[in-house]
Amino acid sequence: MSADANLISRAAGGDSSAFQTLVERHRSMVYRVAYQFAGNHHDAEDIAQDVFIKVFRSLDRFRQDAQLTSWLYRIIMNACIDHKRRSRFNSSAAFGDEAEQKMLNAPEETPGPEERAYGGELGQVLETEIGRLPQGQRIVFVMRHHQGMKLCEIAEALGLAEGTVKRQLHAAVHRLRHALRQARVTAGERA
Amino acid sequence: MTTCDRQTSGDLDLYFYDELVPSDRRAVEEHLHACSECRSALDELRVIREALASRPDVSAPASGDWSAFMMRLNASLGEQRTPTVTVVPMTTALRRPYVEYLAIAALLSLVTLSVTLALRKPQAPADAVPGVAPAVVQQVRTAPTKDVSAFRAMTEEHFERSKLVVLGLATKNAEELQSIDWTYERELATGLLNDTRLYRLAAEDRGLDKLAGVMRDLELVLLQTSMTDDKDPSSLQQIQRLIRRRDLIEKMDVVATTGL
Repeated sequence: MSADANLISRAAGGDSSAFQTLVERHRSMVYRVAYQFAGNHHDAEDIAQDVFIKVFRSLDRFRQDAQLTSWLYRIIMNACIDHKRRSRFNSSAAFGDEAEQKMLNAPEETPGPEERAYGGELGQVLETEIGRLPQGQRIVFVMRHHQGMKLCEIAEALGLAEGTVKRQLHAAVHRLRHALRQARVTAGERA
Repeated sequence: MTTCDRQTSGDLDLYFYDELVPSDRRAVEEHLHACSECRSALDELRVIREALASRPDVSAPASGDWSAFMMRLNASLGEQRTPTVTVVPMTTALRRPYVEYLAIAALLSLVTLSVTLALRKPQAPADAVPGVAPAVVQQVRTAPTKDVSAFRAMTEEHFERSKLVVLGLATKNAEELQSIDWTYERELATGLLNDTRLYRLAAEDRGLDKLAGVMRDLELVLLQTSMTDDKDPSSLQQIQRLIRRRDLIEKMDVVATTGL
């Protein structure tokens, strides 16, 4: 049994120090992914909190033969999507708005690369563009690019077909390249 | 405008991320010698990687101190029934007995309200049937009484609609599936996905863990279906495996026959 599996088993049995250790072992990874997804500390901390609360509630459902990281990534993905949905709800009149219905695939309404390129550096432009990606593309890009996970690992973690992950990644990269070109054009015009 | 097949197929991305088998990798390398468009695209990918690598790696709260994070987590977990982490903030510890009295008072109010509602003529659930998403949302999220019977009626209706989609996916022949079928299945799944997520959250809010678990499985199947397109013949088989692995149809049957 791995160290993580052992901790989960003990935590599920009521050992609070085991759960504490589990959190301490994985909080940096969870926070990093949450921050890359959310783009700010406030939301990243909320997401990370949600993740560990969900982990806590699901301790008895963890299969001992499964990879903890895969399990965690799936919980993180759901927490990211839930958090975005909740924040949309809090800032709008009600659930069920047209925007809410299209949330999963709609780009974020933040300034485009043209506006960002004027005052910001390229990395910031791209980071903003990542924040505008539809959620499926964003989570796949973050897992591949930032976390260095292979497509097959992402597919397993998210329960998706590898072909689907490949297309989500391609769509994300395509948009980022487009943003890069726009930013360069804009920067050139300003120079 | 991209014109090269190596880019539209995604091969160039896979080459960049070192995801190609050696033979395909060699083929892309040979192609790069002859294709300036792909070389340019590859340069862009490198620029993106370098630009993002220059951004700070954030893996801890802004202060760099985890103690506030752990205290907040502990406070949240303190409300759960099973294990808690060891650090208990003083303010929470002092507040806890007071919170318990409030919880008992709230519970008594709920019981009183439920009895009152039960004695009245019940509201016909037709108004609450989730045919239109905003109505569902309002019903699910704004019901302050947490009336389980109304929630159950809405959930059963949602399961009935979802089960048709899941059964359709589970019984389709991947070899014979047409593009137009996929479009239809995807639209159905996308339409149900947000409602499923809402029901799952509502079930979690109400502590209906088993129902929330089934909703979570359903959500995963719908999410995968909504993100799939007709260019990948293995997609349906993947979804069908997921449905089988999660025993989704059986679980939905159990919920439908035994209630919540």
